[in-house]
Amino acid sequence: MGVFGLHKNSHHSHGVRNIDFYASQSKIRHWNDSFKVASSCIILLLCMILDQPEVSITVIVTMGIVNIWANRVPALAYIGLLKVPLAFLAIGCIIIALGISKQPMGDYRVFLCGHYFYTTNEGVGRAAALFFKAMGAVSAMYALTLSTSASELAGVLKKAHVPKAVVELMNMMYRFIFILTEVQGRMKTAAVSRLGYVDFKASCYSFGKIGGNLFLVSLKKANTYYDAMVSRGYEGDLPFWEEEKQVKLWQAGALMLYLCGLAGVYILATR
Amino acid sequence: MEAEEIIRTEHLTYEYQAGCPVLQDLSVSIHKGEKIAVMGSNGAGKSTFFLHLNGVLQAGKGKIFYGGAEIRRKDLNGLRKHVGFVFQDADNQMIASSVQAEVAFGPMNLKLPKEEVKKRVSEALEYMDLQGYRERPPHYLSGGEKKRVSIADIIAMKPEVILFDEPTAALDPLGGELLEDVLERLSKEGKTLLVSTHDVDFAYRWAERALIFHQGKLAADGGTLEIFQQEQVLRETHLKKPEMLTVYEALLQKGRIRKGSYPRRAGELPGALI
Repeated sequence: MGVFGLHKNSHHSHGVRNIDFYASQSKIRHWNDSFKVASSCIILLLCMILDQPEVSITVIVTMGIVNIWANRVPALAYIGLLKVPLAFLAIGCIIIALGISKQPMGDYRVFLCGHYFYTTNEGVGRAAALFFKAMGAVSAMYALTLSTSASELAGVLKKAHVPKAVVELMNMMYRFIFILTEVQGRMKTAAVSRLGYVDFKASCYSFGKIGGNLFLVSLKKANTYYDAMVSRGYEGDLPFWEEEKQVKLWQAGALMLYLCGLAGVYILATR
Repeated sequence: MEAEEIIRTEHLTYEYQAGCPVLQDLSVSIHKGEKIAVMGSNGAGKSTFFLHLNGVLQAGKGKIFYGGAEIRRKDLNGLRKHVGFVFQDADNQMIASSVQAEVAFGPMNLKLPKEEVKKRVSEALEYMDLQGYRERPPHYLSGGEKKRVSIADIIAMKPEVILFDEPTAALDPLGGELLEDVLERLSKEGKTLLVSTHDVDFAYRWAERALIFHQGKLAADGGTLEIFQQEQVLRETHLKKPEMLTVYEALLQKGRIRKGSYPRRAGELPGALI
């Protein structure tokens, strides 16, 4: 069974499952997690602080390459992932660029229902810059989440001295998401096979029933789960095994080079 | 010579709700290296019995002894260390996000040094032929693979006694074969194994001793062969006679098989025929 064999159970694809799946097969999953978190945060901050469309576009393109090539996300799937924030951003940016006035104003305007909807060259520029800035930030965060699984991120938080309870809760919740989505998927299939989703009314009814059942099942599951943990010596602590991943010199070097590149783009753009 | 006793329960009684006991006055003695099949219909108390042996549940009444010493509340963690429990549904056991972290969970809880944990994880993965799965997230594995991970989980803790709760239930034929192979190897290494199962053929094939539960009580305890020959016990506890035993009896009536040969698997049949 190859890597793609893993896909066979995922016809009930959920967002969480996909992102997590990519993280598990990324070429850079072996890189030190803290290093990955730090570098993507630095890139995100640079996007924000430098506030230059050229820099942002460079980040979008390079992070796209990282995600498609290093994180092995198929290009189409990556575009699909980008679409989620894209819709929000597009609406937000249009609102920023757009003005409403009784008098004719701005470089471009439309007269509608007694008002002028106008925009200026400067406004469009500002909206575009904001759009690219946000997309750059999103790309940098995708580069992180598509190469680092949630529990590895939890490990980084733990190292950053986030309270143990929060980190452990995060781990447990993460695990439970899979259990619940799977159970929910099975219940839904069972309901569909009994015509539970035949029309709108039936769908609402079935949806509600499944929700209620899910609650009971999750209580029961939590109990067995707890028993299983206790039987393996759980005493209130979840000391998860973490692989030691050293930061290699060339990785740090590559990051430095990349950051210098971004600085170069910035200097060229502002000159 | 009988092997030394490893676990003993005395008058074990447990009720989830007052008034309806799941285990009643259970006294049983288990010896080192035994291969025991635990049988009985659903709800007969098998899983509850296992949870007690593993120290997850604490008896309402009665006592448990491990290696001759009584297990009190403060000793429960010690009991969990010595007795491993492979749950029926591997999904309920999976907790970490990679196979190796999953297998390391038990040893980490034993507070072993990191090097030792690493060694044990490698050994357990090799034992279950899972080396290639190290970094896979366990929730993407197939049912059979998950089962193997859940067994590796326990092997890494190196317990003396291992309890398997209906391990054959969700396995395909090949998975079943692999499981029996693993049970055989564990047994050769001197582990004491208790396997709860509904599969009478498997029990007849593999186990030396059978514990039959019925409505929370121990209905029968003895050699597998001996128990499967007691028609009345089988009737009362809703168990079936193993196919190989039925075949043996039929052939014996016709005088076609050596008396007392009791073949336990089809492969042994030709050698026993006259």
